[in-house]
Amino acid sequence: MQLRRFLTLIGLGALGLAFAQQQTLTLYSGRGQSLVEPLVRQFQAETGIRVQVRYGTDAQILAALQEEGSRSPADVFWANTAGALGQAASKGLLRPLGDTLLRQPLAFAPTSKAWVPVTLRLRVLAYNPQKLRPEELPASILDLPRFAQEKGLAGRVGWTPTYSSFQDMVAGMIALYGEVRTREWLSAMKALNPKGYASNPAMLDAIRAGEIDLGSTNHYYVVRFRRAGYNLGLHYFKDGDPGNLALVTGAGILKTSKNLVAANRFLTYLLSPKGQQYFAGTVGEYPLVKGVVADAHLLPLEEALAKSPKLDFEKLPLDQALRLLRELGIL
Amino acid sequence: MTSARRLHQLPGLLPFLVPALLTGGGVALPLLYLALRALEADPETLRDILLRPKNLELVKNTLSLLLGVLLLTTLIALPLAFLTTRTDLKGKSLFSILLTLPLAIPGYVGAYVILSATGPGGILPLPRLEGYWGALLVLSLITYPYLFLGLRAAFLGLDPSLEEAARTLGAGPLRAFLQVVFPQLLPALLSGYLVVGLHVLGDFGTVSLLRYETFSYAIYLQYSAAFDRVYAAWLALFLLLFTGGLLLLEGLLLRRLSLARTGKGSGKKARPLSLGRFAPWAYLSLLLPVLLALVLPLYALFHLASRFPRENLEGLWEALFHSAMAAVPASLLAVGMALPIAYLVVRYPSPASRFLERLAYLGYTVPPLAFALAWIFFSLKSLPFLYGTLPLLILVLAFHFLAEGLGPVRGALYQVPRRLEEAARTLGDTPTRAFFRVTFPLLWRGAVAGGALAFIGAVKELPLTLLLAPMGYSTLSTRVFSYTQEAMFAEAAPFALAIALLSAAFVGVLLWSERRF
Repeated sequence: MQLRRFLTLIGLGALGLAFAQQQTLTLYSGRGQSLVEPLVRQFQAETGIRVQVRYGTDAQILAALQEEGSRSPADVFWANTAGALGQAASKGLLRPLGDTLLRQPLAFAPTSKAWVPVTLRLRVLAYNPQKLRPEELPASILDLPRFAQEKGLAGRVGWTPTYSSFQDMVAGMIALYGEVRTREWLSAMKALNPKGYASNPAMLDAIRAGEIDLGSTNHYYVVRFRRAGYNLGLHYFKDGDPGNLALVTGAGILKTSKNLVAANRFLTYLLSPKGQQYFAGTVGEYPLVKGVVADAHLLPLEEALAKSPKLDFEKLPLDQALRLLRELGIL
Repeated sequence: MTSARRLHQLPGLLPFLVPALLTGGGVALPLLYLALRALEADPETLRDILLRPKNLELVKNTLSLLLGVLLLTTLIALPLAFLTTRTDLKGKSLFSILLTLPLAIPGYVGAYVILSATGPGGILPLPRLEGYWGALLVLSLITYPYLFLGLRAAFLGLDPSLEEAARTLGAGPLRAFLQVVFPQLLPALLSGYLVVGLHVLGDFGTVSLLRYETFSYAIYLQYSAAFDRVYAAWLALFLLLFTGGLLLLEGLLLRRLSLARTGKGSGKKARPLSLGRFAPWAYLSLLLPVLLALVLPLYALFHLASRFPRENLEGLWEALFHSAMAAVPASLLAVGMALPIAYLVVRYPSPASRFLERLAYLGYTVPPLAFALAWIFFSLKSLPFLYGTLPLLILVLAFHFLAEGLGPVRGALYQVPRRLEEAARTLGDTPTRAFFRVTFPLLWRGAVAGGALAFIGAVKELPLTLLLAPMGYSTLSTRVFSYTQEAMFAEAAPFALAIALLSAAFVGVLLWSERRF
């Protein structure tokens, strides 16, 4: 009897707690949990503002924001790609930001003024140095399928079609070379029977485990694996090649936000020396603010920028890229 | 058809009918919405969707995984069931329990073990398996117990005199087995195949982590990465068709078989087969699945957990708390919904009450990803205040795990003598009052068992939680999944270990409530 009453009470208590959730700063993050969580924890400890994070892919969050409309609880959208932020801005989801914020980054401040760039990353080719020599690797990502065919690497190439940076790279290719050539490249890649991974670490782990030998990824993933003591090769294509596309991550504040002060504080924190040092150090991305100690694994910022083609990152034809990937059955 | 007497009873039964009907609606309505959402597409999009070459690839992948798992589980379960029932090996009942344990390991934990512990630099001396072969191995190792349990029961219920008759007529042991014994095992095989098949179709964790694109994984990809909701809805419908086909097929085959079945016979015990010098091999084959499905994964889990970064402990407590906050109310709700349905089925058997019970089981057989998607569409359209909240997750988990609670509750109810209730009724109680005064106290044990099964099921559950949990609400299962997807194996270890321990508890509850062995 006692036990029964106790269990009923616990049940009712749990139900009650479930319905009573307090209001705090709500962050929609297209960036991974493992990377966001430590920083959010630091921010909470320093400001006392509680942050709730909803993780997803950029595309997922964009769609969720549109489905939720004016009911959206989101205050800040922190995205993996400038393309997603550009879309959010053009759909009128973001508030214009003040100049104090926009003046801080050294490059890539968007014309829409609706979001602020936070870090920079480059696409690179990761490979297994025990299988491949750096000097034989191709100078352009366009030559990757042919190179892999010649080396007999069919079935031993990885890619991450569901990952936003990969999709941006395809969009960058369309912007540089047009849809026809991009379609040819994707078909040639598909003919290699590549293995699709849900995330970059999973793909690099597969290179480590000998499942595959190479794959296009973001530079900081290779940096992280090297720091963990795994020997992975990192290859840049020739300057200006879409295989080295530079991509900015950034954040904006939503029009639906009811916590403007806290949201502004969070964006300021992302661009503060402490936040930027975290990206350069722990994450291995390029900081965009002066006075951060660069990491030994990273190139000087100017050099990194020279590797990438010059494109308007806010206006990459992402929809076209997604349509193409779907049409070819890659997505 | 309800007779006049039945109608007269209705007002007293209302407290049972209302929750029972709500439950039926909670399963059926979202599925209707899913169909509506899928049919929303304009004709051109529809043509594109239906004619995608990718669909064929998905059908091929799903079918080949299904057939592969059925074949492999048969190869594992049939000899094991024979060895543990018809031979003179020692410790048969202990082995039977050990061989049932892998049932409790969720697919995503199996996939996690394969990914984190094999290949170069892994702690298990095995090559890295992924894709089809990895999914085949993991799914077979965690589903063969369903088949094993059914076959075991069938072997124990066989009438040995038939076999002996065949032998006296000059058939060799093998021929006697194939011609006499095997046909009698078919019903058990078929019902086992159905359960295994539903598992394979519904599995999301294993195939997505090991990168083998079946319908379930494709639904998730379209919904979360490619963001094609209409296509996702169609894929979910395709998957439902598959499930429905499987259920129909099994029903048809069983009906034809049951006509050809013989009675139980004399109840004489079969003489155990003496294995003699083959005994060591038999023991080895009994140990192998236990080793592969239990010992190695546990060893890997403990080993990896020792590398867990201490500063993440906070996340572990949080996930535990979140899991409990979803699973405790969900399991209470599931039992609360199971009670009226079980009551109607046992006390007022009719086509209508049986249909209700079917609906309750439907919530369990619908592939969870299709179910989650259906509820997303349904709640966005008609219950927007629920979308993305914890109560919605709790509700859907309860609908899904209702069937887990139904079995024990119904079993307990059958054992409560009807006359006690009738006595209370003659003293002037309404059916409801009689139920709570007389019957419910005797049901307590069944309700606890049902609730415990639903609770553990809800904690281990992945796809529903992944799609329906509120933002930032990470549970044990979603943590294992997301860390594994990011190849952060050490970080995932304690979460996976917590799930494994809960699974052990699951088996304990199962054994306690069913007293199988």
